[in-house]
Formats: sequence, C-alpha cells, structure tokens
Amino acid sequence: MQLQNSPGYNIILNWLSQIGRKPFAFQQEAWEHIVNGQSGLVNAPTGCGKTYAVFLGAIIQFMNAHPTQYQSKKNSGLQLLWITPLRALAKDIARAMEEVIDELGMSWKVGIRNGDTAIKVREQQKKQMPEVLIITPESLHLLLAQKNYPDIFEAVKIIAVDEWHELMGSKRGVQTELAISRIVNVKYRKANEQCAIWGISATIGNLEEAKEVLLYSIKGIQNIGVPKAPLLQERGWGEVIVTANLHKKTEILSIFPDEIEKYPWAGHLGIKLIDKILPIINNSKTTLIFINTRGMTEMWYQALLTAAPDLAGAIALHHGSIEQELRFWVEENLHTGKLKAVVCTASLDLGVDFRPVETIIQVGSPKGVARFLQRAGRSGHSPDAVSKIYFLPTHSLELVEAAALKQAVEENFIESKVPLLLCFDVLIQYLCTLAVGEGFYPDQIYEEIKNTYCFSAITEAEYKGILLHITAGGKALNQYDEYKKVDILEDGLYKITSRRTAMRHRLHIGTIVSDAMLKVKFFSGGYIGVIEEWFISRLDPGDSFTIAGRNLELVMIKDMTVLVKKSTSKKSIIPSWMGGRMSLSSNLGKKLRQSLDQSQQQNNVPELKVLQPLFDLQNQLSHVPLQNELLIEHIETKDGFHLFVYPFEGRLVHEAMAAILAWRISKIMPITFSFAMNDYGFELLSDQPIPLDDSNVYELFSEENLFADIQKSVNSTEMAKRKFRDIAVIGGLIFQGMPGEKQKARHLQSSASLLFKVFAEYEPDNILLRQAYNEVFEQQMEEARLRDMLQRIQKSKIVITWPQQLTPFCFPLKVDSMRENVSSEQLEDRVKRMQQQLAKVI
Amino acid sequence: MPGLISYTINKNDFVLSHDRVIFWEQEKILILSDLHLGKSGHFRKSGIAIPPAVMKEDMQRLFAAIQFFKPELVVIVGDLFHSVENKEHEFFLKWRNDLNHVPILLVKGNHDIIPSAWYTTANIIVTEKCWRRNNFLFVHHIEDISKDEIKEGDYFFSGHIHPAVSIKGLGRQSLRFPCFYFTQQYAVLPAFGIFTGTYLVEPSKGEQAFAIVNNSVLPV
Repeated sequence: MQLQNSPGYNIILNWLSQIGRKPFAFQQEAWEHIVNGQSGLVNAPTGCGKTYAVFLGAIIQFMNAHPTQYQSKKNSGLQLLWITPLRALAKDIARAMEEVIDELGMSWKVGIRNGDTAIKVREQQKKQMPEVLIITPESLHLLLAQKNYPDIFEAVKIIAVDEWHELMGSKRGVQTELAISRIVNVKYRKANEQCAIWGISATIGNLEEAKEVLLYSIKGIQNIGVPKAPLLQERGWGEVIVTANLHKKTEILSIFPDEIEKYPWAGHLGIKLIDKILPIINNSKTTLIFINTRGMTEMWYQALLTAAPDLAGAIALHHGSIEQELRFWVEENLHTGKLKAVVCTASLDLGVDFRPVETIIQVGSPKGVARFLQRAGRSGHSPDAVSKIYFLPTHSLELVEAAALKQAVEENFIESKVPLLLCFDVLIQYLCTLAVGEGFYPDQIYEEIKNTYCFSAITEAEYKGILLHITAGGKALNQYDEYKKVDILEDGLYKITSRRTAMRHRLHIGTIVSDAMLKVKFFSGGYIGVIEEWFISRLDPGDSFTIAGRNLELVMIKDMTVLVKKSTSKKSIIPSWMGGRMSLSSNLGKKLRQSLDQSQQQNNVPELKVLQPLFDLQNQLSHVPLQNELLIEHIETKDGFHLFVYPFEGRLVHEAMAAILAWRISKIMPITFSFAMNDYGFELLSDQPIPLDDSNVYELFSEENLFADIQKSVNSTEMAKRKFRDIAVIGGLIFQGMPGEKQKARHLQSSASLLFKVFAEYEPDNILLRQAYNEVFEQQMEEARLRDMLQRIQKSKIVITWPQQLTPFCFPLKVDSMRENVSSEQLEDRVKRMQQQLAKVI
Repeated sequence: MPGLISYTINKNDFVLSHDRVIFWEQEKILILSDLHLGKSGHFRKSGIAIPPAVMKEDMQRLFAAIQFFKPELVVIVGDLFHSVENKEHEFFLKWRNDLNHVPILLVKGNHDIIPSAWYTTANIIVTEKCWRRNNFLFVHHIEDISKDEIKEGDYFFSGHIHPAVSIKGLGRQSLRFPCFYFTQQYAVLPAFGIFTGTYLVEPSKGEQAFAIVNNSVLPV
C-alpha cells in the first residue's frame, strides 16, 4: 500500500497541519513500512518524535483497516504493545498518546502495566485490554504467568520496544527477546497472522546487529510458513532501519584547577573544584550534575550546600536509593524549572526531557562515549539547541579523558552493545513463568527459543539439562529426595501445581538483582529511603550516617526497617553503595591512548597543555607511553614489590590481565600476589621481587594458551562466585524474601557464596555454575577484548622502567585498593607464611 | 589421621580435627555442633535445587569420625536438624540404625524444632538448655547463659555462630576459614554441616582460634 494514498495517513497529515506541525522525513518513512506490515528499528535521539514514528504508524494502520469506523470502534483488543525499560517513562508516554487519541476523536484506550499498577486496574485490564499497553519486561513476563494469556495477544499488530539500546546487552534484553518469541508465536497460532516488531534505539556502534537481535523471532516464524503479504513478497523480507538524521551539536568544556601542580593525583570526588561550578550553576537556568556513585552524590550535595548556602531549597539530590515520592518531587520541579541544580547519578540518564535543563556537569569519568553523549543530551532540548556539558576531573590525569572524549564525540566513535548469549538463568526463570501460567510443552518452546538470538545456539542436551533441573532438581535422584518445582502432567504438559511455589515464583520474576535493602524511617514516623543491609549491619545504634542529604542517627533495626532520628553529630558515615563501578569502554580507552600520544607532540589541546607539568614529571621519573607503546613500572616500597602496567583498557580487562599475568609469573617461581586495578592500568604487589624483564615480557603478554591460563588463574573462581549471586537469584536458587514475609522464608535462605561452594564441590557440572564461569569469560574478562589487547601489545614496544619513587601514573592505582589474590603456593603453606611475615612486622 | 591438633583446658586434653569435631580424650566424648541435617532436603522440597549429595557427605564424615575416635558418647551442641521434618530425616534414621551402639546426646538449638517423639525413635537423648560433665558444660549458644549462672572453674562448649577467622598477610592478602574458637571461659565449635554459612570472629588477647584449612588445623 502506498502510504500517501492511504486514508489514515491523510487524516494524520490533516490533524498535524491543524496544530501547525508536519511530520519529519524519518517518521513518514517509518509509517510507510508499518502500514506495509514490515518490522524494523527506528534510530533517533530522545526528544525528536521517535515515539510518534511508531505510535502514529500504528494509528494509521488502524485507520486504514477501519476507514469509516476508526473513531467509533471500541474495545478492539490490544493493538500496540509498548515495552519500555523505565517505569518512570510510562506515564508521560501514556499522556502523550492519550492526547493524540483524544484529538483524533478515537476510542482507543492507553493502559500502563508495571509494578506500580493498582490491582483494580489490573483486573479491569484482564476483562478488557486497552488498545495500547505500556509495559516493562518484568511485567510482561508476569502477564505470561497468567492463565489465558494467549487471548491477550490475539489482536496485537505491533510490538514496540522503546530504548532498545538500553535493554540489549542486559538480561532484561534477554527477557524481552523471550517474551517476544512467545507472543509472536501465540499470535500466529491464534490469528494465523504475523505481528510486526519495532525497536526504537539511540545511536550505538552496532545498530544492524541490534535490529537482528530484536527481530530474530520473526525470521523463525517465517520459517514455519506464515503467508507473506503481497507487497512484502515484492520487496523481500528486508527489515529496515529508519534513521533520523537530526544531528545535535554538543559543546564540551573542561573545568581546570587553578594550579595543576596542587591538584591531587588520585581521587574520585573532585570537590576541590566546587568553587568553579558555582558560577556555572548561577549562569544557567537549570544544571544537572552527574556523579558516578550514590555515595558521592550525597557528599557533593552536602558540599554544595556548605559552599553556597543561598542555594538551599533550589538544589536537590536524585539517586536510586531515595524515596520514590522525593524523586517524583525532584522530577516535577525539574519540569517546572524551580530547581537551579540537581546532583544525580545514572538515575537521571534516561527518561523524559526536562526542558529547563541548560547545562550538564559530568564529575569524573563517564567511562564511555555513549553515556557521555546521553548525559550531554539531557541539556538543550529543542532540536537545534546546543547541548552543553562540562567535564570536572576528580584527579589530574582524568583531564586526558576530557580530551579523548572530545575527539571521540567529534568522530561519532560510539560504543557497541554486545547482545548476551545463552543466559540459562533467564531461561530457567522463563520456563517456570510459563509453567506457572498455562503450562508449556517442551518441544514447542524449544522451537521458539531456538528462534531467539540469545538461545539460537542452545543444544538439545543443554535444553534437556534445564528441563531436568526444573523438574527433578538436577540428577542424582535417590529415595530420600523430595524435590518439587515443575511437574510433568499426564499429557506431557510442564506445570507448576503447588500454589505456594507459584506465588513465590511470581514474586521473583525479574532480572535486576539488588542487595537486600532495608527501609529507613524516622523513629517518630516518616519514610526517608532505602539502604543496603550490609552497610547498616556494620553500624551500631548511636552511629550517624548520611542518606538523602540528611544526617541520621541509628536507633534500632526492627522488622526489616531501620529506625533513625536526626543526628547532630558532625561526623557521619556516608554509605558507599556497591554498583556503579563501570569499566572504561574500549572506545574511550583507544581515544585515551591517542590523547596521551598527542600530549607528547606539538598540540593545541587545552587539557593536555594544562597537564604539561604532570607529563614532565612522569617523563622524568618514568615515561609517558605513546600509542604504540605499553608502559610497565617496577617500584619498591615498604609494602613490597610493585609492578604497574598501563594498557588503558578499563578495569575489567585489567582485572583479568592482572590475574593471568600473576599466574604466568607464578609459574616461573612460587610467588603470591595481590593486585589492584583501575581503568588505566593494574598493579601486582608481592613480598618478593617480581621476575619480569625485557627477556620474558613479550612471552608473558602472549596470546598463546590464553584460554587455558584464564581457566587456571585462581581468580576466575572468585569472579565466578560474584557472578553467581545474580545468576542464583534469577535462576531461583536464592530467595530475596519479601517485605514482611522475611521471617517465614528464613529457613530457605542461604548466601550465594555458600551455594557456590556447595555446587562447586558436589555438582561441578551444574548448568548455572557453568554459566557463572561463562559470564566471567565473556562479560567480566571480556575475552574478545583481552585478545585484541594482547595482539596490540605484541605489536607494541614494551617500555619497562624502574622509577625510584611513585609516579603520577601509578599513584591512583596505589591509592585505590580493589584487590584480588593469585598464588601458586599450597594453601596451607601460604597461610603459614602469611602469619610468619606478619609476626616479623609486629 | 592427619589434621589433628591437641588443646588442653583445665588439665583435660581435647583433640581438634579438620573434620570439624572435638574429641575429649579423658571422657571419650566426641563433640560437634550445627550439623543442620536436612537443610538440603528442605531447600529441594521448596524447589531450590541444592545438590542432594551434601547430606550424604555430612553423614559419611560423621561416620568416619566415630569410627576413628571410637567415642563412648557423642555430644551435639545444637542444630542437629535444620527445620521441620523431611525425607532426609529418614536417611538419618537409617544411618543411626547402623551405628546404634553409640549414644548421642543433643543439647537443643534454635533450629531443633521437630517433635521430641522423633528423637526417641532416633535413640537420641535430648537436653533442653545445658548439659554438664565434671567442670565442662555444653550449651548451644553461649549468650543463653547469664553471667551469674557461671561458676568458678566452669568451661563451656558451644556452637550456634558458625565461627570463621580471616587470616591476613603482607601485600594485603586475606583468606577466610571456618575455625574452632577458644576464649578463657568458653569454646565455639565450627558448624559441622557443609551447607552452612560462617560468621567472622576476631580473637582478642588471651583467646585462641584454630583455622580449618583443607585437611589441616592451624593455630592462628
């Protein structure tokens, strides 16, 4: 069908011109594909009408199907399923859609379905689904856990996935893939018709792949012989990418310390530069200050209030641990422009636009080009406005990153999102979800999941293993075993029949695993926020801590609630929340190495010029590595013998490389290391001199035997143990418990590290345990990136120096102390020696 | 048997084994704590697939320890079973049948919630709070004993907390192991059960901990 001749298109065009607007080219392009039943991906930044590109397409499609009754036609069933990663976005999107529907005089309803949806509304939806349903991946899976869920999807025409770049590469993305695979098939079986899938994504390095991952299920359904629409036969199945060519200008400015010599070499906070940002806040309507961790936002907020008391009431704090109502209040006041500045974490990365925001300040490394651009894009929202972002370094060397970011933004050198493969924990959860609802037949679901990108490579043996896991709790059945989860009914249907198991499963659907959180309340009443259990468990009553910008004194912990009162104490502990420890992206790392190289040439980059004294000192003590060099420093201090290596590949790759290098060295002689890493490099520390020099260094950084060496480096066990926590929760081995119910579930609680130990010893081939190791290799160690790095190093010149004192480069590493161990000694010997050494020191 | 270490309290000799048991030589009593039997079964019954071998392994270790020390009495200072009855308890009964000649005494712990008739079937003597032999007392949790209940010269054996120590070395190395923990007035035994967590203790002056490192017992 020609879009231009279609009735729906003309109605929309009329309506738009009535309100003085006309469609963007990319929107029209998307509509054309939609009315022709195609699937695809819309690539557009936020605030450019990407929602309309898909939503109005669905409206036009409906109008074309019902040209005379499109206004009066009621209760048409679910037409457009709108999956969004953010609960907070749902309301605004729904409001925008409802406005359009209203103005067009249509009878469509828009519903929202997420954790906040009231039971009454859910019941109404059960009776009559709205035409548009806005839903999170978790709630979508909860729908699949309902009886009769196939009926819901009988009429669905389009499944839209908003912010697909955010979902892909995470387990929520896998959840989305699985839900789509089910819906597409259910729809086909029910209506003998195919539905379309549309993704909406910001620019990432691998858009083509992003599209393939999302639309994978459609290919599968085509293989089982869905009749093609005539026009599609003409054009082939070619799914499309529709790109909005709206380039937004971004201005990047660095905040310089007055005297670079006096600015600290290490640190994460940057509060010393607070006086520099006060004029920026004053001169801009509203400013967002992005800080990498929640703990640091608390500190910045306090520091701002101290430095500029007149800002009290005009600045606010926003992060994931703050009470929801307060967060809503902050967001509301951002909309209305009542706030001068908000100190925030990634919690404000995504979401609706706040028009009054004119300026962004990024404190510390954003770790990636995409995230930096995303944050910059939170300012200057009209399509031709310039986004303005300031970069505030938390230690001197970080200024190089500003130079690197500028370069990367100019070249549009944006990271790719790597889709996850074979996430068995998510699959186990999904199968149990289906077993809770209608039940499932394994063969049918096998075909469907084979047609998802994530599980396209699953083997029959693996699938059988998973089925065995959920029905018999793994192998080793004996007469004393009473394992019970999924039952196999007489006709071969897999179903969870125990009501209690079903209820527990429903409460645990989801792939976002958080630490156990406790509510924080005033003793006198009044809710403040939530806090991690492990943090509060280290405090005694009477201790003071800071949360949501308030100083509080711990009174007692009762029924999973922390009771507090206002504290007058000047000394208070700020929780250091876990998480938020992102690793530098490979793109930014590459640009960083280029910028360092540039600093050693004639250049006009202001950041590099300012850092000249620091580079001079580094050159005097050691060396500043060029692009094709790898710097290694041997330094001896009272702590022992240090080896510093600087590949600039991000913390995760460094962690793996440190383990591998430690292992390889320990094969030369028995030696034990502890090691530390940051985004620029890593450190090995030992009590003996480290045998690495010109004669063996290339060999130690060789790609040969990499896989074997990874597996042997003790460290993979430790890493897997950490990965296992999330996997165990998603795979249903750990109960997080539910508020109020905690006590009852007590006898069913165990820690992930204990489970890991038990599985490693008694069921080493357990599928979830194996997944933990796979995740370590693929995601944690980023094996592919590790290989690339080693290949690069083999071609580089390795420069080994022996500085007499700590250098500017090694300083942040020495100060940071995220440490791991590697040893080739017998455990018993090691403990004895550790003790002897300590005895000597004492 | 390797992995043994001897410790003297008030002129009595106690052998600490890497198998997480203590043998009192003069009285020929085997002391252990926190077996949490049936825990894996309890989890499995609720749809959490813990390897079922865990329970078997625990029983085998206990069997081996009894064979080795040939005690005249086994004293368990609490938490023999993890929770309400399940089929793994039947497995225990069968095991008990094969070893019926050794008397077992249980000082009840907070997890021991199954009906008392069951213990009679299993030929286990049950004591509610405390059991005494000479100047040595056996309790589940040392904090259940108030200060004024303690007499001069009394020494307690207890469990409940599943103690572990962290061993630190140069280069900021640190490792964590289950341990036996002795203070001037009481001892805390490591949890015998494999499927149990640990709690970090920090021995102060005059106290002594013994870490269980693979097949050895090491003083720390």
